[in-house]
Amino acid sequence: MRKVVAILLLVLSFFIIYFIQSNFFTWFTIAGIQPNIFVIYILFIGLFAGKKIGIILGVIFGFYIDLVIGRQIGISGIMLGLIGLIGEILDKNFSKESRFTIMLMMATCTVIYELGCYLFNVVTLDVNLEIISFIKILILETIYNLIITIIIYPLMQNLGHLLEETFKAKKILTRYF
Amino acid sequence: MYKNKKKGIIGIVITILILILLVIFTNTNGNQMSYIENICNVFVMPIQNGITYLKNKISGNDSFFADMDSLKQENDELRKKNSELEQSLRELEIIKAENETLKEYVNLKDKYKDYTTLPADIINRDISNYSSTVVINVGSKDGIEKNMTVIADNGLVGHIISVTDNTAQVQTIVDTASAVTSKISTTEDTIVVQGTLDDKTKLKATFIPTDAVVLQGDSVETSGIGGIYPKGIHIGTIEEVINTNNPTDRYAMVKAAVDFTKLNTVLVITNSGK
Repeated sequence: MRKVVAILLLVLSFFIIYFIQSNFFTWFTIAGIQPNIFVIYILFIGLFAGKKIGIILGVIFGFYIDLVIGRQIGISGIMLGLIGLIGEILDKNFSKESRFTIMLMMATCTVIYELGCYLFNVVTLDVNLEIISFIKILILETIYNLIITIIIYPLMQNLGHLLEETFKAKKILTRYF
Repeated sequence: MYKNKKKGIIGIVITILILILLVIFTNTNGNQMSYIENICNVFVMPIQNGITYLKNKISGNDSFFADMDSLKQENDELRKKNSELEQSLRELEIIKAENETLKEYVNLKDKYKDYTTLPADIINRDISNYSSTVVINVGSKDGIEKNMTVIADNGLVGHIISVTDNTAQVQTIVDTASAVTSKISTTEDTIVVQGTLDDKTKLKATFIPTDAVVLQGDSVETSGIGGIYPKGIHIGTIEEVINTNNPTDRYAMVKAAVDFTKLNTVLVITNSGK
């Protein structure tokens, strides 16, 4: 029951994030570049709720984004699912109790997500490859995501531990006892 | 522990301030000095007001505060009047906004009267930094079909790439995947204009014929070739011509006629008579 409520809250949060991204961050930009808070959100789920929930919600949310605003259905789903999986892998290998490691994880995931989406666009839509411009945008976007991560880090920690208790409680017990 | 928590909060506040400043500075054009002056005034003015008040008190120049009761009454009346005026102002603003939208529609209709058009509002914008698509509030129920041309008051916006019952997605001409066959209106030379990642207000004009004379300020419009866009819709003006060692590689930057950042109303050409 607790898990169902948690998933429903995660879905509800996704819609709030969707409206923030598509309304607020389309004008609250750094040099015209907007952040990608979906990456932050899915990595957060992957880190604290585990890969199963991370992948499933990443894929569903990604497909939803593609359906509503995307040009090709699938790529956001695949990439956000991948971020969910990476979240679990990073959780197993690094501590998420440090702000610095979380920031590094966020930067890595932003780069992986945007690189995947851009290369997919270049291949499927026959877009000219503009490496320097892409790197410029990617750097700004990563910085923006990092700034947001710094701001919401305490919230991420508090909510994350609640999420971890809900989804990973049994695993923690078997690991330590 | 307490110290660390306090430090964390200060850090977050500083980061938020830096973020807001970054956003403001990178998106504001010009007039930045007066902006800084305003910020400086915020810090100085309250203290300045306090000092002036004290100065008046000391010099006996405080008769202003003598009749407190009548001032209070006057203040209440003014507040009441102010709220009434604010209410009517709000109503006027709503009427003004409606009027502006209707005017835009009428202007657009007049300009493109040869085409059958359908007005639409932009309801969503692309969340990616690498593409420029928008969603409009008309769909297949309104007779919208894939590949229909979308225009605005100043010129070409793009074309429909997907349709649902009530919405349609438009690929704008500044999108990196967009390529429009067009012509320079003065010389009739055919070129191809494409969106770039660098600047969402400019287009890159390529495939310029080697013998073509391209000048800054030349108007660029659709050629009608390609099967999507009708002939003669204004795209923009040549801003810069970049010559390369190989004349076949030379290109030009075209300033888009439509300001995509402020675009809210568009017209979909439902019957272009292509």
